[in-house]
Amino acid sequence: MEVIKSLEKDRSNLIKAIQMVQEEYGYISDKSIENISEYFGIPTVEVEGVLSFYAQFKRTAPGEYKIAVCDGTACHIKGSSRVKNWLVEDLGIDDGETTEDGLFSMETVACLGCCSLAPVVSINGKVYGKLDREKLLKIIDDYRNRGEN
Amino acid sequence: MIERIKVGMASCGIAAGADEVKDFLDQKLKDREDIEILEVGCIGHCYAEPLVEVETESGSVFFENVEPTEEYLDKILEIDKESTMSFRDERTGREHLKVTKLAGRIDPVSLQEYIENGGYESLKKVAKMSPDKIVEEVKTSGLRGRGGGGFPTGLKWSFLASKEADKKILICNADEGDPGAFMDRSMMESVPHQVIEGMLIAALATGSNELFIYARAEYPLAVKNMNIAIEQVYDSDINVFDGETIDVTVKEGAGAFVCGEETAMIHSLEGNRGNPRYRPPYPTDEGYKGHPTLINNVETFANVPIIFEEGGEKYAELGTENSKGTKLFALAGDLKYAGLVEVPMGLTIGEVVYDMGGAERGEVKAVQIGGPSGGCIPAKHFDVPIDYDSLESLGAIMGSGGLIVIGSGRCMVETARYFLEFTTKESCGKCTFCRIGTKRMLETLERITSGEGTLEDIDFLEDLGPKVIDASLCGLGQTAPNPVLSTLRYFKDEYLAHVEDKHCPALQCNDLVDIYLDQEICIECGQCIKNCPVDAISDDFVVDNETCTRCNTCIEVCPVDAISRVKRGDTNE
Amino acid sequence: MSKVNIKIDGKEIEAKEGQTILEVAEENGIEIPTLCYHEQLSQTTSCYLCMVKDKKSGNYIPSCSSDIADGMDIEATSDDIFEMRKTTLDLLLSEHSGDCEAPCTLACPAGIQIEEYLRAARKGDFLETLKIIKEKLPLPMSIGRICPRFCEEDCRRNVIDEEAVNINDVKRYAADLHYEDYLEELPELTDEKVAIVGAGPAGYTAAYYLRLKGIRSDLYDKMPEPGGMLRYGIPEYRLPKDILDTELAHFDKMGGIEVNCNQELGKDIELEQLKKDYDSVLLAIGSWSSRSMHTEGEELAVGGIDYLEDLALNGWSGKDPGKTIIIGGGNTAMDCARSAVRLTDDSVNVFYRRTELQMPADDIEFEEAKEEEVNFKFLTQPVELREENGKNILTCIKMELGEKDASGRRKPIPIDGSEFEVEADTVIAAIGQNTEAPEGVPTNRWDDIEVNEENYHVQDNIFSAGDCVTGPATVVEAIGAGRQTAESIAAYLEGKEYERDYIINVSRGHWQSLTEDELVLINEPVERERAHLEYISDDKRINTFAETNKTLTEQEVIEEAERCIECSCSYKEDCQLKDYSEEYKAHPEAMVGEKVLFDYDMRHPEIIRDPGKCVRCEACIKVCKEIVNEYLLEFKDRGYYTNVGTEFGKPLPTDCTECGECIDICPVGALDWKSTKR
Repeated sequence: MEVIKSLEKDRSNLIKAIQMVQEEYGYISDKSIENISEYFGIPTVEVEGVLSFYAQFKRTAPGEYKIAVCDGTACHIKGSSRVKNWLVEDLGIDDGETTEDGLFSMETVACLGCCSLAPVVSINGKVYGKLDREKLLKIIDDYRNRGEN
Repeated sequence: MIERIKVGMASCGIAAGADEVKDFLDQKLKDREDIEILEVGCIGHCYAEPLVEVETESGSVFFENVEPTEEYLDKILEIDKESTMSFRDERTGREHLKVTKLAGRIDPVSLQEYIENGGYESLKKVAKMSPDKIVEEVKTSGLRGRGGGGFPTGLKWSFLASKEADKKILICNADEGDPGAFMDRSMMESVPHQVIEGMLIAALATGSNELFIYARAEYPLAVKNMNIAIEQVYDSDINVFDGETIDVTVKEGAGAFVCGEETAMIHSLEGNRGNPRYRPPYPTDEGYKGHPTLINNVETFANVPIIFEEGGEKYAELGTENSKGTKLFALAGDLKYAGLVEVPMGLTIGEVVYDMGGAERGEVKAVQIGGPSGGCIPAKHFDVPIDYDSLESLGAIMGSGGLIVIGSGRCMVETARYFLEFTTKESCGKCTFCRIGTKRMLETLERITSGEGTLEDIDFLEDLGPKVIDASLCGLGQTAPNPVLSTLRYFKDEYLAHVEDKHCPALQCNDLVDIYLDQEICIECGQCIKNCPVDAISDDFVVDNETCTRCNTCIEVCPVDAISRVKRGDTNE
Repeated sequence: MSKVNIKIDGKEIEAKEGQTILEVAEENGIEIPTLCYHEQLSQTTSCYLCMVKDKKSGNYIPSCSSDIADGMDIEATSDDIFEMRKTTLDLLLSEHSGDCEAPCTLACPAGIQIEEYLRAARKGDFLETLKIIKEKLPLPMSIGRICPRFCEEDCRRNVIDEEAVNINDVKRYAADLHYEDYLEELPELTDEKVAIVGAGPAGYTAAYYLRLKGIRSDLYDKMPEPGGMLRYGIPEYRLPKDILDTELAHFDKMGGIEVNCNQELGKDIELEQLKKDYDSVLLAIGSWSSRSMHTEGEELAVGGIDYLEDLALNGWSGKDPGKTIIIGGGNTAMDCARSAVRLTDDSVNVFYRRTELQMPADDIEFEEAKEEEVNFKFLTQPVELREENGKNILTCIKMELGEKDASGRRKPIPIDGSEFEVEADTVIAAIGQNTEAPEGVPTNRWDDIEVNEENYHVQDNIFSAGDCVTGPATVVEAIGAGRQTAESIAAYLEGKEYERDYIINVSRGHWQSLTEDELVLINEPVERERAHLEYISDDKRINTFAETNKTLTEQEVIEEAERCIECSCSYKEDCQLKDYSEEYKAHPEAMVGEKVLFDYDMRHPEIIRDPGKCVRCEACIKVCKEIVNEYLLEFKDRGYYTNVGTEFGKPLPTDCTECGECIDICPVGALDWKSTKR
């Protein structure tokens, strides 16, 4: 576990460690759990228990471009469910899934804190606001073309 | 003469395209050594993003909704008075910028700028005071926790200060999880040093020697800015007192709303599942790793330097009898001017919503204050002053400051369902009433919004809701039913319409709505047919409501407003 | 340690500082329920069943985690608290899966613990089998022959090979084998005495269970011999009367049950006198009056039950009825038809006004009647009966099905002009019976005796049960009512309020909606076809009233009992959720919502994990972590979907067998030994 080597072996760093591993690999594999467990001397099942509690952690590989659809209050009343449906139609994947080519994954998240620009999505952390269908699909297309090049 | 150009680059600005504007300006003005281009935080006028401030020797002007084009560049460089942004008196006349006075005005990650603007002066003063005196001053100010509960800050500090312990912990709750609230994010992104200064003052007052900022992982820029600021603090020994260093660390949460609850947050910091535990023992007795621990939120800490800047008594002059100072609100929803406002306690809801937010009178049904823990306040009560006690008497709470304006086109049952869905998802799953009770209430609301509800379902909500409040261990469960109960209190007629008439008066609940194309108005342009994602509109312009998903695309693209949502079954009228 | 004074339910208590409210209450005999609290474990505070009210603040607080404080005033018992705890249990039940009781037992009107007696039978312990049966049913030799087998209709064995376990024939075997040498433990007789009018199944059952409580009874019956319907309504070929005699002889052997025949109410004995002479009177007089067809000339027909009674009085013999027409589609009609078949070479015909599907007779009766060459004519209704030249001429009309009526069955409507005539030597009207309630006893709109449904009480010291309350029904239903009435009378004699057993049941569903994967199969189901009784040949059958079939052999019975898949909860005897839910009158359907369909885990050789039963009390996790110092279990996920998991979902290690702490501490059997069922 190279990535977490810098961390002090204290349980309070457990969540940080899982975050670093996810940052590195995009998700947490069984092997990673075993490594983290060994590093901190915490039983494997407890590491599993902790990471499964937090919404941030993924146990399957996400797409190259991770789309987060904000379902915060402002986005919700400005139609985040429609935003999600546009993506479902365009990408053919549902919440928590990854496209077959591994390019996109999508999940619904709690507020991204950009309520004044609702509805918003973020792609790999970059936030896109005041979306309508056309604008969103163009953004997705741009990423898709980027992926192909 | 232009001296500096500042681009608002908080998350909201970036989302609106401020980074492209900044890049463009950098590129075009790279030869103009006389003009400095700065990244700043958020001044709260999010509706106007991307927002550019131009500083000249004669003062500042602002440009709103700036685009990265030559045309705009020319306007900025010429300081074209026609194009500058004018701040509305309705807002400027009412806001009271204390806590946010530097937000968006200074480079967030410049220690020097913060100090030049009076930053860390309060800390210097405090360093010469006895802990008792510091606590006393905070008590005098009347500051109450800005995170939700409104517990008197000075009193809380005194609990920790009185503890004898080698190690005391101070935690800044920056796990702003209420959907629709972004005050804390904005403060951390825009004035991270102000938050740290408040924390260091609290540390001196309480004798704490290890400080954590527990921040939401969804706030990368806030985390980044806080970390830069902390590094600067270490580099300048700002956190060293009598040779002792007070450690400050940012810890990122991992996506669990319940971790905003203090015992859950402590468990999370310790590397555990974020389950709350029963209190007592309170964290000030037994907290992080067993050490006495105090938790305040970002806005509370950001208030602290202000208290010492102007003195507790002066601070307490603003506000109402039991609620002192100002409060930040994140305005969003059905209003014109979304953004962050800082207002003195005691302003009425109506002033904030109509005057400052620009929401149209008559078009607003209610506001939701306090997010999923709070309640809906109907427009008829908008003359109520904003303070802790008044809001509670209406079935809402101050909460952290999310203020969502709900327009007349929104369904209150659906709104309640939305909030309950959020809390149900975020319940830690420990207590029976919260884990199963919220789920059963949510399922009941889903039945109602899909037209399958009964009068018994409404009785069920009214019966179970108060029980969930009574029999849950932490604040999440104790407040989860609030949005449901407050909408039942003020908007029962909407519930009854869903149940008895299978009708959603706001025409929002898709299962109770049909799409109607009025052929009298239709000009047969074909836009709707072209844009319908499920081919539900026939060549002779009839909507097949069996196929239609109620996505509203046709309504939006129709140039003559010939298409509308109608009560289910009313398509023949 | 300093002392603290508090009040619980108004009781002043001095307790030690640092104790919780729950601990103090327990020490002082105030019962507070809890599922998640364990003395040896750290606080969990999750179930919220232990809620009490802090009277000063008005707040509900979990007593398991709240330390006492001086001057506390706690309410631990009140209607409010009861309501809150009930809601807690309603919530827990709404997500609980499992089968608190086997569907066979639930279907049985007598409530026999069928799964348990099949288990005893499988081990060859037929005395135990009989003992379990007789806890709920005192006439197993008879019922083992004539029961309509409601249990088998709901048997989950159907999921495996579409054939229920042959439950009733196991009962018949055990009863036949041990009936004479089995004697129950009998308490000494008290001075109390009950008069029971009607020595049929309900009357005998009540007498039996009263006797088990030491209460004497005198049975009175108008007929020359006791047994009621068993003797005079059910033909010999289904229930030989020497079997019945053997069965009834046992009641004499018990002592304290006196049978008086040829004693008719209103003639030989008077209700008013019985009321005075006895502590209580039970009316179990049955439903014996043939119902009218409301057709002209119906006096030319003989009533179904009257026909059977005559045969019985004649020792199941009689004159050749000639060509016979039986009107009606119930069990009495079948009995009449099959009896007539045995007495004539002419045709025997059943006319029924609805269709085969709606016929109320048991399937087995209908099938056996067809085997015995009884003819059936459906959608046919008599309109007139007359006599011509010594022959009965029956005019009928054809029917068709119309709208559903109050009973949910489609109502037959006559087709105009479809009348036809048939000739018959004998016409039997078997369209049902009415109750003839004694004078002064309240009746309902069907002329049956009106009782308080909760406790079978009629008025004064009179109770009533059986067909005379329900109208004509099955023997096993009369037995179920007879037992409960005995309980109710016993409570009445003690001056107590009778409370019916409140039994909750959470079900995984009816077998028709289940797949094999959804069943919790602790033992691999044996592959074996259902055992069938050996019948005497069809041509012999129609000439004799001898019993149509033989009891199974011991080997067949053991093998049949092995077909039971034991589908009820392994932990039902000890389940705290069940116990509390029954105490607090919680109900599994009080709230309806999603149940997470967790897979149960049978991979461990000795231990079963069934997470659908889990109440998330965390006790298993904590006992493993805090006491055993192993870390084998942990919560996974959160919110409604929180569940107890193992490392990567692997099975528990085999050496867990040596510990079993988690199993011992689980309040609901989400973790259990497989051996509880073996």
